[in-house]
Amino acid sequence: MRALVVEDDPALRDLVCRHLADEGYIVDMAADGEQGQYMAVEYPVDLAIIDLGLPKTPGIAIIKAVRKAGRNYPILILTARDGWQSKVEGLEAGADDYLVKPFHKEELLARARALVRRSGGWSTSQLESGPIILNTAAKTVSLHGNAVELTAYEYRLLEYLVMHAGEVVSKSTLTEHLYSEDEERDSNVIEVFIRRLRTKLDPDSTLNPITTQRGSGYRWTLPRA
Amino acid sequence: MKSLRTRLLLVVTLVLVVFMLLCGAGLDQAFRGSSLQAQQDRQQGLIFALLGAAEFEDNGGVRINTGSLPDPRLGRVQSGLEALIFNERGKVIWRSPSFAGDVPELLAPDVGATLFNDLEARFAMTYGVRWVSETGGLRLFGGGRKKQTRYTVAVMEDKTEYLAQLKAFRRVLWTWLGGAAAALIAVQLIVLSWGLSPLRKLVRELRNVESGQQSRIEAGYPTELTPLAEGLNTMITAERNQQQRYRNALDDLAHSLKTPLAVLRGVVEDDTLPADARDRMSDPVDRMQQITHHQLRKAAAAGRRTLAEPVKLKPLTDKIIGALTKVYAAKQLRFAIDIADSLKARADEGDLYELLGNLLDNAAKWARTAVHARADIRNRMLVLVIDDDGPGFPEDADKLLSRGVRADSITPGQGIGLGAVAELVKVYDGSVELSRADGGLGGARVTVSLSV
Repeated sequence: MRALVVEDDPALRDLVCRHLADEGYIVDMAADGEQGQYMAVEYPVDLAIIDLGLPKTPGIAIIKAVRKAGRNYPILILTARDGWQSKVEGLEAGADDYLVKPFHKEELLARARALVRRSGGWSTSQLESGPIILNTAAKTVSLHGNAVELTAYEYRLLEYLVMHAGEVVSKSTLTEHLYSEDEERDSNVIEVFIRRLRTKLDPDSTLNPITTQRGSGYRWTLPRA
Repeated sequence: MKSLRTRLLLVVTLVLVVFMLLCGAGLDQAFRGSSLQAQQDRQQGLIFALLGAAEFEDNGGVRINTGSLPDPRLGRVQSGLEALIFNERGKVIWRSPSFAGDVPELLAPDVGATLFNDLEARFAMTYGVRWVSETGGLRLFGGGRKKQTRYTVAVMEDKTEYLAQLKAFRRVLWTWLGGAAAALIAVQLIVLSWGLSPLRKLVRELRNVESGQQSRIEAGYPTELTPLAEGLNTMITAERNQQQRYRNALDDLAHSLKTPLAVLRGVVEDDTLPADARDRMSDPVDRMQQITHHQLRKAAAAGRRTLAEPVKLKPLTDKIIGALTKVYAAKQLRFAIDIADSLKARADEGDLYELLGNLLDNAAKWARTAVHARADIRNRMLVLVIDDDGPGFPEDADKLLSRGVRADSITPGQGIGLGAVAELVKVYDGSVELSRADGGLGGARVTVSLSV
């Protein structure tokens, strides 16, 4: 999952980014509205956290621009103005939820998780697909009720696929959404992780949860519960 | 004397009355003068006519034929017109047939002069004449050796007719003057009410602005009042902008206080830092957060303002519900609003946002499937009723609220989240009541009344 944080206060920006990174997000950040708007429209983003009081371009304008550009990933407003008027304004502009400063780490992460889940069409924090259950809060996976040990990378890849269950996800999309700019992007790595996931989730090759669509990417085949 | 109208009317009436009185007195004086003059002229004429008709005898007597009396009234008893002729010793030598009673005391004027006297009930005119009798001819002011006799002729006329005339004149005079005064006052009243009508209109418009029926002074006014009306409009706008500026300043303050607070909170929650330091910071940070939140919210509550622009409740509620539908998308709540499209409340828009936002958010948070919102204005009280089908309030919730609260320590997300509502309600002299929703929902009901 790739998150964009647009916040002008450096300390708070670092804090939010650290929280999200701890949670397994790939985080991009922008320090002002102008840069934020560019990144929000152009970058592969799964979730944006946008402060409303930004220099250069206000947060509301960024949200409007994102929606106008046809991007519909979830947006969480971060605001010090806890008045309902500004909340309503932000939500009307196209944001999906708001968080009032100061906030608890858990609240931020819970809201972020809920938004990403909702955008994938999931309504609970447990993603159930066939015999496989992902607990997005605890970041654990179980198969037929038994815990499956996954590395952080493997979990991220699995969560992304399950979140977009039924859709064909290209290798480049996966690289974009799961790796930060400065990490080495080797598409072979994706193949390696997919293979490992298949081994761990489908040891006796009966489920076949991930299919390879030749030339276009991968698809999570199990139905949503 | 507080009304301009009364003042003007009083002064004008006073001036008018004094003017009419002076005018009446003047006319009366003039009329009396000319009446008296006419009276004198008539009596003088009679004197000369009498002299013309008189035959003076050498023995000092006088004879006037009844047939040649210059006025027939002189021959009729009690006709009111009487004549006397005295000789130089003051003895009456002739009296008209109409004369009855005692001879009045009269002054004898010089020869050739007249005296006009106002006796009690009649006017008397006396005339001195010197008679020269030689060959029977009549000669006035004669001289020489001829025998000369001095006579005094007096003509007296009863005052009755003169007084009646005067009375009739006065009646007519005062009737007309009074009528004219009344008409002038009536005209003055009309002029006043026409002249002051723009002021009354201005007052009416201002009342409407106050009561929220219109947002500014609109009608055209006479030149003298235009600056006043414009000034009022400027004031109204300034008042509203002032509130907006104030709120913006508060927003900026909130922004610059809460961002560092969020960083501090991050530090407190940072597991990599020593637990001891974090524990010591945790409490002050919590307190700072609470105080900032509480005080900023309190300061932001504008309260009832006389010149606030009335706010339509329906669109505002729709907006909030649109926002909440997003926030609580997972619950797929049904929101039912029963608010008339035309319902306007004379309250600050920001305050209404806070109030409805918190009430509806709270209801949405606890509701299972549905939230109902109803609003109405009765007797200048805006009544909001928000129902949900959640678990309802605990038994002691009402007590908690009425303690005045506690509510400020209840932040959204914990407890019942009605702190902001309780505070706003206080500012608007209103009340909050927590009860159980009827009509099938069965959850919590919050009834808020605000005086607007």
